[in-house]
Amino acid sequence: MTTADNRPRPSRSGIEHTDEPEAVRFEHVNKSYGGTEVLNDFNIDIEAGSMVSFLGPSGCGKTTTLRILAGFEPVNGGDVLVGGESVLKLPPNSRDMGMVFQSYSLFPNLGVSDNIEYGLRIRKVDAGARRRRTEELLEICGLTGMGARFPHQLSGGQQQRVALARALATQPKVLLLDEPLSALDASVRSSLRDEIRRVQQALGTTTVFITHDQGEALAIADRVAVMNDGRIEQYSAPHEVYSSPATAFVARFVGSINEFAVGQDWTIRDRLPIEPAPDHTVFVRPENLSITSAADGFLEVKHSTYTGERTMVHLGLPGDHKARWAASLASVDADDLRPGMRIDASVTAEPALRLDRNDAEGVPA
Amino acid sequence: MAEHLNSSPRMKRFLAWLPLAALAIFILTPLLSSLIYSFFRADGSFTTSGLTGLADSGKIVAPLMRSLVVSVLAAVILVVTLVPAVVAVHLWAPRLRSVLSILCTLPLVVPAIAIVAGLSAVLRSLAAQGRGSLGMQLNTMLQSQDLPLVLVGTYVILCLPFTFRSIDAGLSTLPLRTLFESSSILGAGLGTTLRRVIIPNIRGPVMFSVFFTFALSIAEYTVAATLSINTLPVFLNTLSSTNFRGSITLSVLLNLTTWLLLAAATVSASRFGHRPSAVSEHDEPEADEPAVSQAAGAFRKDDETP
Ligand SMILES: Nc1ncnc2c1ncn2[C@@H]1O[C@H](COP(=O)(O)OP(=O)(O)OP(=O)(O)O)[C@@H](O)[C@H]1O
Ligand SMILES: [Mg+2]
Repeated sequence: MTTADNRPRPSRSGIEHTDEPEAVRFEHVNKSYGGTEVLNDFNIDIEAGSMVSFLGPSGCGKTTTLRILAGFEPVNGGDVLVGGESVLKLPPNSRDMGMVFQSYSLFPNLGVSDNIEYGLRIRKVDAGARRRRTEELLEICGLTGMGARFPHQLSGGQQQRVALARALATQPKVLLLDEPLSALDASVRSSLRDEIRRVQQALGTTTVFITHDQGEALAIADRVAVMNDGRIEQYSAPHEVYSSPATAFVARFVGSINEFAVGQDWTIRDRLPIEPAPDHTVFVRPENLSITSAADGFLEVKHSTYTGERTMVHLGLPGDHKARWAASLASVDADDLRPGMRIDASVTAEPALRLDRNDAEGVPA
Repeated sequence: MAEHLNSSPRMKRFLAWLPLAALAIFILTPLLSSLIYSFFRADGSFTTSGLTGLADSGKIVAPLMRSLVVSVLAAVILVVTLVPAVVAVHLWAPRLRSVLSILCTLPLVVPAIAIVAGLSAVLRSLAAQGRGSLGMQLNTMLQSQDLPLVLVGTYVILCLPFTFRSIDAGLSTLPLRTLFESSSILGAGLGTTLRRVIIPNIRGPVMFSVFFTFALSIAEYTVAATLSINTLPVFLNTLSSTNFRGSITLSVLLNLTTWLLLAAATVSASRFGHRPSAVSEHDEPEADEPAVSQAAGAFRKDDETP
């Protein structure tokens, strides 16, 4: 096992670079608990040194995937490769991975420094190198001066940083983060998120980041894997997931979206909706929906939500109290829109997704 | 709670202390009388003949060493077997926990004398295999006066009801699975995790178990006497026929030692029990208390050495 000693010396930024990040690959992995199938023919390729976020609703199998990679759960079929070699036969303690658990899971009997040093002690790294590495990590993770404290003397955000530092200390081949920010409040969340990203990019560690917060997933990752029901629905760059979702599920899960039933021949130059035979469904982002007040408009303004620069205008059918669609306008343009006003809507950019109506079942348009 | 008591009238406070005082008198009276008897003659003059008589004869050394060795071994074996067993059950077989709990409580409901009867039957059947047989060798080894393993085993079992409960309660307050998982992903094996993470977090219950087992083993009479193994309490009994004052002195000393050990057990249970972890601060002292008070109760049985 390599020790921190014979790794490259700290670079100018004070952060050591992992010498060879490893790629991760799931091949046709099946996993069930008892009779319940959780993963079914699960495949993914994670490029060495990149950061991938797993995004999906609760219970879709994100944690299960991570636990399989860490070696805590056996699989029922398929293979898991790290750096091109199967790791299925390796126990967790020889997989050389770092993991941050949702519940922090710091060792309560050990101080902050001892928690961070734990993995190095196990690898029998000598005391001097251990101390240097710990100091460095305390600094990287914004914990300078807290080395002597015990976990219960830290705030949630600080405990989370310690958990991160502990996972990074051994310079793992792969870093696994299971909703590491979910217990934190919004501002700590976004600053720690940026910090994780910064550290990850500086160290170049292959990282899997689980979240069910789409903003987090889009902001932090090189690629986003949107999961649903044990499958990956889409695996692409964050902006692609948003601007061209692959499936109705992705379109609905990431960001807010409008669905309109349209005819086969409908194009964005046409009015919405078009008669007859609405046999397609188009998915339109609120910012791509333009509205103009018109006495014979087919939609009605229900209410508006002011969010500062932009205002979300919620729309519905006249005579129906439900708001089914939303348009995002610059707040200045939304000023003179009043609830009950008739409006006409049109689409200003190619819909994010267009599906045969049968393939888009679920929420009706 | 304390504030509430402080602010209430003196009478209430007095009433609260009354049972404690009664208990103290009940326990301390015989001890004090023995103490007085040990060091004062009937005419009231001071004497150390009890003590010197003990030291002079030199016969006390062998039983004392025997008892010490048995007690230390019992305490070590108990912790080394019980802790991993309870951890394993918590981690991998939570359903077996109730089974283990019942098994560990059994020694409490089976009278010591019945355990000895059972043991004797087993030992006899071993011996019945005849001279030179494996059974006979085992029989001899178990009952050897140098190292009476049969006593060590029996004491470990007799201590299970109390120590199991304490360790079980300590482990229940820990997020065991995640601790194990985070330790193993950092490269640690099972043993390392147990040593570096789990045991330090249940130091209180472990210390309690050590002190308790030691105290019970050093003062136990019934089993040792029935198996004719000359431990300290058995020696004490024999001594009473030749040097009565000496035997009383010894019993007072033994009593004080066990009490000190039990006090150490209780203190360590609450002191080390106060772990700096968010989950457990509140339940732990409570969890330990029943075991401690039961322990004190059980002790009286073995303290009734003449
Ligand atoms: N040990 C287990 N035994 C049985 N079923 C399990 C077990 N662990 C998870 N499951 C089931 O497997 C499915 C996937 O669970 P998993 O924990 O991977 O979800 P997740 O995507 O991480 O959800 P969340 O966002 O809520 O954490 C769930 O339906 C869950 O009920
Ligand atoms: Mg999860």
